[in-house]
Amino acid sequence: MYLSRRTFYWLTLLFIGLSPSLLAQTDSPTLLGKVTDRSGEALPGVNIRIKGTTRGTTTDSDGSFRLTLSDRKTPIVFSYIGYKTQEIAVGNASTLAIQLDADQRQLNEVVVVGYGTQERKNLIGSIAKIDPAETRGIPAGSFDAQLQGKVPGVQISSNTGVPGEAVNIRVRGATSINADNDPLYVVDGVFINSNSLQTVSTGGKASSPISDINPSDIESIEVLKDAEATALYGSRGANGVILITTKRGSYNQKSKLNFNVSHGLAKAAKLWDLTTGPQHAQLVNEWWINTGKDDPSLKRTEANRPFRPVSEGGRGLPEEQQTYDRLGELFRTAHLQNYDLSLTGGSKSTKYYIGGGYNRQEAIIRPIRFERASFKVNLDQQVNDRIQVGVSNTFTRTFRNQARAGDGPAGGLLQAALHTPTYLSPVNEQGVPVGRAGFDNLTLLINNYDVNSTSLRYIGNLYADVQLSPSLRFRSSWGIDYNNYDESEYWNNLLIAGSPGGLATSSISQFTTWLNEQTLSYRKKIGGNHTIGVLVGNTLQADVLTRTYAEGRGFANNAFTQISSAATTAATQSWSKSTLASFFSRVDYNYAGKYLLDFSIRADGSSRFGSRNKWGYFPAVGAAWRIKQENFLKDVQAISDLKLRASAGTTGNQNGIGNFAAQGLWTGGAPYQGSPGIAPQQLSNPDLQWERTNQINAGVDLGLFNGRLGVEFNVYRKVTTNGLLQLNLAGTTGFSSYWSNAAEISNKGFELTINSDNIRRGDFTWTTSFNVAQNRNKIEKLANPLRYGSRDLILQQQGNPLYSFWVYKQLYVNPETGNVVYEDVNKDGKITTDDRQILGSIWPKFFGGITNNFTYRGFDLGVFFAFQYGNKVYNHNKFFGEGGGARDAARVILASNLARWQKPGDVTDVPRPDGVNVNNYRDGGSRWLEDGSFLRLRSLNLGYTIPKAVTARLKIETVRVYFSGNNLLLLTNYSGLDPESSASSDQNQQGIDLGTPPQPRSFQLGLNVTL
Amino acid sequence: MKLIRHIIPVFALTALVSCKDFLDVRPLESISDDLTIVDKASAETAVRGIYSALGNSSYYGTGFQSIGYLSGDNVQWTGSQSQVQEFINHKVNADNSTIGGAWTAIYRTINRANNVIDKVPAVTDPTLTQVLKDQYVGEAYFLRALSYFDLARTWGGVPLITRPTLTPSDNSGVKRSTQAETYAQVLKDLDAAEPLLPLTTDRFRATRKTVWALKSRYYLYQKNWVKAEEYADKLLTDATNYSLLKPYSAFFANDARGTRESVFEIFYNGTTEVNSHRGQWQPQTNGGTRQWAPNDAFVALVNDPAVGGNRSTLVAKDNQNRWYGNLYYRNPASDPTFVIRTAELYLIRAEARAQLGKLTEGLADLNAVRDRAGLTAAKAATAADLLLAIENERRIEFALEPHRWFDLVRTGRAAAVLGVTDPNRYLLPIPVDQLLTDKSLEQNPGY
Repeated sequence: MYLSRRTFYWLTLLFIGLSPSLLAQTDSPTLLGKVTDRSGEALPGVNIRIKGTTRGTTTDSDGSFRLTLSDRKTPIVFSYIGYKTQEIAVGNASTLAIQLDADQRQLNEVVVVGYGTQERKNLIGSIAKIDPAETRGIPAGSFDAQLQGKVPGVQISSNTGVPGEAVNIRVRGATSINADNDPLYVVDGVFINSNSLQTVSTGGKASSPISDINPSDIESIEVLKDAEATALYGSRGANGVILITTKRGSYNQKSKLNFNVSHGLAKAAKLWDLTTGPQHAQLVNEWWINTGKDDPSLKRTEANRPFRPVSEGGRGLPEEQQTYDRLGELFRTAHLQNYDLSLTGGSKSTKYYIGGGYNRQEAIIRPIRFERASFKVNLDQQVNDRIQVGVSNTFTRTFRNQARAGDGPAGGLLQAALHTPTYLSPVNEQGVPVGRAGFDNLTLLINNYDVNSTSLRYIGNLYADVQLSPSLRFRSSWGIDYNNYDESEYWNNLLIAGSPGGLATSSISQFTTWLNEQTLSYRKKIGGNHTIGVLVGNTLQADVLTRTYAEGRGFANNAFTQISSAATTAATQSWSKSTLASFFSRVDYNYAGKYLLDFSIRADGSSRFGSRNKWGYFPAVGAAWRIKQENFLKDVQAISDLKLRASAGTTGNQNGIGNFAAQGLWTGGAPYQGSPGIAPQQLSNPDLQWERTNQINAGVDLGLFNGRLGVEFNVYRKVTTNGLLQLNLAGTTGFSSYWSNAAEISNKGFELTINSDNIRRGDFTWTTSFNVAQNRNKIEKLANPLRYGSRDLILQQQGNPLYSFWVYKQLYVNPETGNVVYEDVNKDGKITTDDRQILGSIWPKFFGGITNNFTYRGFDLGVFFAFQYGNKVYNHNKFFGEGGGARDAARVILASNLARWQKPGDVTDVPRPDGVNVNNYRDGGSRWLEDGSFLRLRSLNLGYTIPKAVTARLKIETVRVYFSGNNLLLLTNYSGLDPESSASSDQNQQGIDLGTPPQPRSFQLGLNVTL
Repeated sequence: MKLIRHIIPVFALTALVSCKDFLDVRPLESISDDLTIVDKASAETAVRGIYSALGNSSYYGTGFQSIGYLSGDNVQWTGSQSQVQEFINHKVNADNSTIGGAWTAIYRTINRANNVIDKVPAVTDPTLTQVLKDQYVGEAYFLRALSYFDLARTWGGVPLITRPTLTPSDNSGVKRSTQAETYAQVLKDLDAAEPLLPLTTDRFRATRKTVWALKSRYYLYQKNWVKAEEYADKLLTDATNYSLLKPYSAFFANDARGTRESVFEIFYNGTTEVNSHRGQWQPQTNGGTRQWAPNDAFVALVNDPAVGGNRSTLVAKDNQNRWYGNLYYRNPASDPTFVIRTAELYLIRAEARAQLGKLTEGLADLNAVRDRAGLTAAKAATAADLLLAIENERRIEFALEPHRWFDLVRTGRAAAVLGVTDPNRYLLPIPVDQLLTDKSLEQNPGY
């Protein structure tokens, strides 16, 4: 018997493509029937299984089926996507008429909101819920980097291909110039730090504190966008709120062990195209001779061109030059690996989740590496039928082998590899490795890089929940976010930064947030139709940042790397603290699930603000009308849901300003002759207060065809006043700026999400999820324009969007002279700073993503594209690399420079190499401002779940093997490597691509097992 | 419901706690500006704060210095930013960040001096004697004089600020004075400082002698040859304290500081007081960028035994056979900034004497400097010959110090030597950020 059953399973597996009925035993009874929905419409493709077996069938086009039974005791299971699964005991029936109920699961889905949860159908605010499982495979250090294209209205730019570095995340645009534009991150009720603690220079980049969280521990991510949803976070809600709920067990749940492993490879999809040594030399000669023609006093002629025969005292003819490949030495095929193990379950009164994870990602450039080991314990205990207590604990160690992938001559990897001329040998005449063009020697740099950081993070929450009465609940919680960030550098004497004698630094930063919160919530249904909810609460929070820094210079030799062995040492220390006291309340009212109303208010007192404005008040109001519940729509079958929503409210922002920004201060840090000195540091502003963002939102939710097509549409307008700004002061005051509330910025836009169950036919399903959003950003008020970025490439100016590019507009290259003609804006016959103009910004005209998921039997396939359109990128690498020979041995020349003008009649946009007419290669020319639109195949996941029948025999619940490919396709007109590259993590310097490795293309194989 | 009775007091309690005290957080690294200069210690440290501003990287640390020598004819730029090249090409734009930084740094120095001048006299600490008070205020006057002198020679007339800035509305919207009025302020401050300061020798802080040295330079710029000679004389006759050291490198090489050559130099210890200057000059093998390098013409001159003499130690070669400037070389970065050297006083006096027709004495002063450099004595038949010889001597002697540009402008020789024929270029543009922020400022003509 045992054998025959086993054979049976194997056969099932073998004939997986065949109808199970072929395997039916002939002496068994046959069941006939038809499946319809409640309205009597036939449902084709309904899955029918005999419970506990793989035997079954599907309904045909008119909903009818025929099933051979093994016995009449085992129930039959009818399942169909979008409908509730039904189990039917057959009994003696030989025919069955089954009616399936539409599953309103989407509508009943629980969504986490500020200080509570809500069923989706009762939502008023604009909240996006994301299942992190869909993006977990994308190689990035932090979960926020993985979300690009998944959340409507949330623009995420990766900035870099280095895992674990900060991404640029903007919820409905940016609201501030000098305060932060990052959303508030809340993990299990703890407001966590999202500002990098990094102090070592990696060329403008910063590590992401969000990457301390293992994405595998996350159950759900909710992004709160409008005022109704965010006002309860008051002073920190203006840039949206990201709520992270980690996994917890369930009461009365059998223990479940989940194991996931994946390995992969990552590589740059393409690299820069550089001139060869001979081409470089040719261009330099051309430049030399051209400048000599333009300015004979320079005495530059063919005869004394730099690349002339060595016998004539030159560097050798162009064709004699070698070409040295440095990019190939820097870039590598990187290895990715990830392991997660979790145990979840619960008894009658205890539930638990225990998770451990290890993630290791190499960057595609040597020697950068990111490693995270994390451990998570969530426990809940039902003390009695009224009291529940619980803890959430996240422990993480994140290690980064860091390097300067960004800007900066000393230690800059891409400066050494990309920006060094190809004709220059990495060794000098004596065979000693030398750095060229002012940059480090690449080989020495890669082999001697010693910059690393270790982040130890604990995020924890302890709560007690007391059900005081059936409608009244009290909750008190204590939360902690503790981050110990330990960085060390050693630059030995072979590297610029360590020359001579070596340099070691150590910086230890400790950031602690503690948080105490009480909430009292009341919810009661009055009569049949009225439900009223009231929430009151308070929060106390303190953030403390301490930092100890030490450095040592002058080491006996490179074997000594600790500051204790240095000849001279120096150390500093810093301490900073901010506090926040808050009171909040929300009242909501629901009439018959038809009319929904709510009102909330939060009062925040912050230590950061001026003595006259410590407290801020943030109210919001929202309303929704579920039209579907009205009688006139109740019976319209095609429309399964229709809801209108509207909200208005105020949120604030205080992040990013100094903890003591409002205070008038003198510093003790003005020493002279080794003795202490004091000096004015900043002027006080007792009126300094919150940035206030008023936001209105209107939305409609529409469900059609039993929810198979879902549409959500939101329009919004955000106006930020009292914008926090380091307002420039006249230099004659002796100060450069002081903190004030001086700017006004608006954002308006729309978001559209469409979810569709395209096909569900038995074993085959196809769903599509599409989102697109537009945000238009504008500086409404700013007294004086502010310039940011290298060569003032970015200008913040009233009437234009934030992060607008400020450039000289190149009209054409004169075919007769080969010189660039710029637009002379003020028509004064000269090209001066006054002729710079704003040509585009980093903001796309629209952006979003589209995901298609297919399942067929055990196979699943997910194809996810992200796109954005209409944003600009400044290709700063190209500016440097298209110097037309004028930078000679000081900078690489890109192959694109070969398209330069050479003789009258040449039509090209690359001017003639020339050092006299500075216009030709002028800083800030529009030639390097490019369209950054792209369509990216962010991920392609193909999985196969081994049939239950097989795995059940091995007491395994599920086994899934999968392949994940990321960034397999990138369609863009951008001539650099990656239109998302940005050299700096500074929010005001986005969109300048310099010395940044691209996001890699990666392939991973994985296995997921649940026991 | 019993619980509620407990919960409400908890709420009330936290509400009370979270009141004023909880939200009042004060820094530990800084102090409130309500209490700044109140006793001897704070007066003394506030004076050091002015020197610290003077040595800031945008002022005598690097930025302002670079204006003086990049605009000359000795230095080339090997980097990629056009703002440095603008000085070399003599086409400085108003958005040049070096001038923007220098403007702000100089006024920061002035504000710190104004605080001392304003507050120290009112301090009632018995340990702060009148002598000390005078010294502190005198130093502040001197440093303010030097600041206005640098503003005047770089930009011409500037807003004259003589009171400390206490609120954001103070000291802005002040119209520019004329260059003459600005120079008058310099003299007024020097005159105020002179009697307050002790007649001692201190090469790192201002004394009465430092005031004399700056007066000598001031009068040279004013073409008041008699006074220029007179004030240079006051120090040069004090040979025990002020003399030329042999060889040339003795005042800076081998970590020298505070030598008898030096009249006034700014101190840096390399850790808390960093002179970032070396980073621009030193080659990569010494941890620098060598973005500023001696140009071919200067390398040829300084290595010419008949011109440079032993001043050839100003330049050296790196491992790629490239020349680099070696005046700022110390690691950690503790090179002093030399503001006034004895050699300058000799050359000021030489020039003044040449202008006064005292050829022999003038030539003797010039030859003192040449002799120290290991050169034979120069000859000059006429005052014009002597002045040209002095001009050429200054070019080499102060090649990496901020003199060349100001000298050629002051003597009206910028057109002949540098080819800068547009006199509007002799003053730099007011930084564009300042024009935007302070509408009462007017741009210099030609910009």
